[in-house]
Amino acid sequence: MARGSPRRLQFGEREKRVSNQDKVTIHQLPTGVPGLDEIVGGGLPEFSFNIIAGAPGSGKTTLAHQIVFANATPERPALYFTVLGESAIKMLRYQQQYTFFDPAMLPGSIRFINLSQVVLEKDLGAVLEQITKEVEKANPAVVVVDSFRTMVRKPESDMDLQSFIQRLALFLASWQATTFLIGEYAEEELRDNPIFTVADGLFWLRQTAERNSIVRKLQIIKLRGQDSVPGLHTFRITDAGVQAFSRTFGLTGQLKDPPSHRRLCFGIPELDKMLGGGVREGDSVLVAGSSGTGKSVLATQFIAEGIRHGEPGIVAVFEERPQAYAERAASLGLDLETPQKDGKLTILYLRPLDLSVDETMHSILDAVQKIGAKRLVIDSLAGFEMALSPGFRADFRESLYRMIFALTGIGVTILSTVEVDESFTEFPFSTYSISFLTDDIIRLRYVSIDGQLRKIMVVIKMRGGNHAKDIREYEITDKGVVILGKRLTNYQGLISGIPVHSDRPDSTEAPSQATGIEHKT
Amino acid sequence: MTTLPKMQDLAQRLLAYEAFADKTSGHAESVTLRVYEKLREGLGEFAGVAGFQSLASRALALARTEAPSLSAVRVSADGALQGLGEIQHQFDINKIQAGEFPVGEGGILLIARLLGLLLLLLGEALTLRLLRVTWPGAALDDCNSENGRNA
Repeated sequence: MARGSPRRLQFGEREKRVSNQDKVTIHQLPTGVPGLDEIVGGGLPEFSFNIIAGAPGSGKTTLAHQIVFANATPERPALYFTVLGESAIKMLRYQQQYTFFDPAMLPGSIRFINLSQVVLEKDLGAVLEQITKEVEKANPAVVVVDSFRTMVRKPESDMDLQSFIQRLALFLASWQATTFLIGEYAEEELRDNPIFTVADGLFWLRQTAERNSIVRKLQIIKLRGQDSVPGLHTFRITDAGVQAFSRTFGLTGQLKDPPSHRRLCFGIPELDKMLGGGVREGDSVLVAGSSGTGKSVLATQFIAEGIRHGEPGIVAVFEERPQAYAERAASLGLDLETPQKDGKLTILYLRPLDLSVDETMHSILDAVQKIGAKRLVIDSLAGFEMALSPGFRADFRESLYRMIFALTGIGVTILSTVEVDESFTEFPFSTYSISFLTDDIIRLRYVSIDGQLRKIMVVIKMRGGNHAKDIREYEITDKGVVILGKRLTNYQGLISGIPVHSDRPDSTEAPSQATGIEHKT
Repeated sequence: MTTLPKMQDLAQRLLAYEAFADKTSGHAESVTLRVYEKLREGLGEFAGVAGFQSLASRALALARTEAPSLSAVRVSADGALQGLGEIQHQFDINKIQAGEFPVGEGGILLIARLLGLLLLLLGEALTLRLLRVTWPGAALDDCNSENGRNA
């Protein structure tokens, strides 16, 4: 190569340079919808041309209003074009009930312009002309057309529909406006309607009745220029407007804490020994047993021990109210009132019957982040499932997987309780077949010994650690779960619930630890 | 249903504002009509022609029950008011500026009813914000105003 002549870039080098230096930066606008920024990949791409589609009542207008109120300023206002459909007066009457609606932003930052007359009396060319005139006058940052569907209802107009959409999209992008066209579209129209081809973003809102509950879900079918979270995301409409719950629970991009070798104790010395010093921080622990075996007691002791060690905790209860939960703990000598007042403990009572897992997670995550919780108790999985809308129960296992993965990923140790049917022929860990979701399993069960219904405990599984293989008898006293001193060695078939007495005396040995053997289930 | 005193007061402020503008700019048309037309223009932008026409028709129907003289007045399809000029008394500009309005006068009742409907449907905050766009200098919620203007 001659000295001084430019070196020809190899393909890989050129690609790297483009990606690092010449790539355009797409700024992102906030959606104004809690949870939605994370779903769309950080925010709405500036100057994009988007469709908000869905059936009537699915929340399209409310979503558009939230976007508008989050982004409009006097310098770069929002233009909200209304066409045929809901009248602007009624729209404003209802929308102002939402807490995000700020009347002070009207009409300086947000202007509502009615296009009904021009749509009714003229063709699409005149509509485009009117929009052009208003946009050039206002220099808006955000433009909404509600409903676009009613605007293009006349295909026989002079300008063909595709050309109209193309010109509108080009014009609005050139004028640096981020645009949202609202329409009542059916999903089967996705293939044929040119608007979906032109659009940079396609937000689809759905509302379905599941038995007696309404389930709302949104999907980002398309969003050019950035990674949105795929799949259907639950959303809810409250007096604060639309609130979305990402399938990734808003934890996308959060780095998983490095694996911890710390062990978290129950404060029950014999059990902690059986667990090799306690459960590993960041584990998912399942405590399974039938009714009355002390699952909740064990869970309460786990939380209380954490608080004693300065580890804030969350208890999510579904079957009883927080006050009752705290009172029951007090009867075991565990004070849950003081840490609640000190901000070290939150007992969440998640209102039953129409929750989605994502909403539940959102509540739990809020609480986790608020107090910096290190331990979480879900008491119980059966109650959790019952609290869900019927439509979500079918996905319970998959949702639980996402939830546990997300929470343990940020270093929270989860203890879930689950009720299992007591069987004298089987030894099930869980009725949900979720043991694969858990790192550690502690099984509690009744056993018939010497004419008494006594309780035994065994550590079934500890992923990543040794644990005792002992079957231990325990009692629930006014101090909580107390493991009795001896390992039961003079009975055969304890886990069947109907053991057979052998002549061998009870062991007085310390709990045995497996060496280097990890129990897999 | 009687006209809300608050709305009647607000209507009078707008009339006073326009009456003062008449005096200084020499507008020839009725003060009431000018207020109505400005409302029509301002509200028509976001409510649409049909939206404004519906409101105006309702306001006229309500005002007629208190002012039979409005029976000959009509709201046309485009929202324009027809027939008000014939029954409109000429206001004494000095009295208007002094706040001495003929309270039972049909035109004022019509404007008050129209404002009342807006208040009912949109609430006070939003209604006043919309009116301020059309009458930026008007004293819409200030009793110590002069000629309907902010003191």
